[in-house]
Amino acid sequence: MTTRRFRQLLNARFAGVLLSAASMMLAGCATTPQLADATEASLPLRASIEGVPFHAQREYQCGPASLAMMLNSQGVDVTVDTLIPQVFIPEREGSVQPEMLATTRRHGLIPFVLNNTFDALLIEIAAGNPVVVMQNLSLPAWPMWHYAVAIGYDRETDEMILHSGEEAERIESFRRFDATWARSDRWAFVALPPGQLPEAIGAFRALDAIASYEQVQGPQAALPAWKTLVARFPTTAMGHFALGNARHVLGDQEGAIDAFREAVRHDDRLAVAWLNLGLSLQSRGDSEEAHHALSRAAEIPGQWQTRAREALKTH
Amino acid sequence: MKRLYRYLSPLLILALLLGSVSVAAAPVPAGDLVSTQAALSAERPDADRERIHEILSRADVQEQLIAQGVDLDEVDARVAALSDDEARQMAEQLEQLPAGASVVGALLFIFVVLLVTDILGLTNVFPFTR
Repeated sequence: MTTRRFRQLLNARFAGVLLSAASMMLAGCATTPQLADATEASLPLRASIEGVPFHAQREYQCGPASLAMMLNSQGVDVTVDTLIPQVFIPEREGSVQPEMLATTRRHGLIPFVLNNTFDALLIEIAAGNPVVVMQNLSLPAWPMWHYAVAIGYDRETDEMILHSGEEAERIESFRRFDATWARSDRWAFVALPPGQLPEAIGAFRALDAIASYEQVQGPQAALPAWKTLVARFPTTAMGHFALGNARHVLGDQEGAIDAFREAVRHDDRLAVAWLNLGLSLQSRGDSEEAHHALSRAAEIPGQWQTRAREALKTH
Repeated sequence: MKRLYRYLSPLLILALLLGSVSVAAAPVPAGDLVSTQAALSAERPDADRERIHEILSRADVQEQLIAQGVDLDEVDARVAALSDDEARQMAEQLEQLPAGASVVGALLFIFVVLLVTDILGLTNVFPFTR
């Protein structure tokens, strides 16, 4: 075999490997993401959020940098240097998702994880909320995980605008962006002060987000968030229940009882709300109504029955 | 020196353990009522065991973070800011969790493949391919 023929063969084989690898990838993802019809109809053609400060990442620190942009855009005065020891893991040379959320909480904002859809991402941007996204810029076999802040989009040119890495207002095609974002299962979150809710959030995601925030920052800080939650989702009984608990801890007994009543009005199978209603009424001395509420809690099968029965005994 | 260590290490272990317990973020106290956090986690089966597991998780996360080079002054506050779910996730799979960092091993073969996928618009590793 001459050298030339050998080289041709090698080239052909190499090209074949590449081609098959590429076609395998093509089959996987990389189509321009489709929006639901309802989103398609109501979403503005383009949106871009002004005034989101940009911090260029140093070395591996796209986590702290993205977080600083996000917090600054909501008026929280914090620098990348402050955030590095709070969210960066030196041995991993990176930041993990749970700690991105936890650090947001420490700085007084509520992190809301979105529902892994392209629709939710664009809806939030259109509503003026910058979104932290996690991408794998490389292939799953050799991941290159990256956080960026999505601040705009244009549906006519099919392009995203992101503060990413060392580049402010970087333009990425929808197709490329979604291919890299899909590798994190389209993980994204917005950070808002208590009292504001994301546009594209469901009641239960919001409930979880606020409950986790309350655990860190306390009921006083969470109270405005619970109020907004019940205003937005008035039929979600758990929301009224949570509002009642926050009021109770803050010493607003009447307010708590009102909220527990609302909770059982919307879901009369929510045993835990009957239980808290009963206990609150009992401590107020309203024994007749307390008895009714506790009896309801004791009737509904589940883990609150024991506590309800005990409370009934002391009646 | 060795003798010093012999006394010191059990003390350090004890200190770490005691420190960890305080780190376990308790649900917001609701007085005599059932707290929101307890009610939400009660929707999952086996809530009591999970609660104990969570306390252990937080101690575990704290240890892992210290081992991964996180500042001792920061680690308490970092663990306390995690929700119960997040603490469990960190304790169980910190090693597997993706860490946003933006670096990739630079073998030639990988370089070429990524170059091609970049050109195809599937990845975004090299800035010059746009």
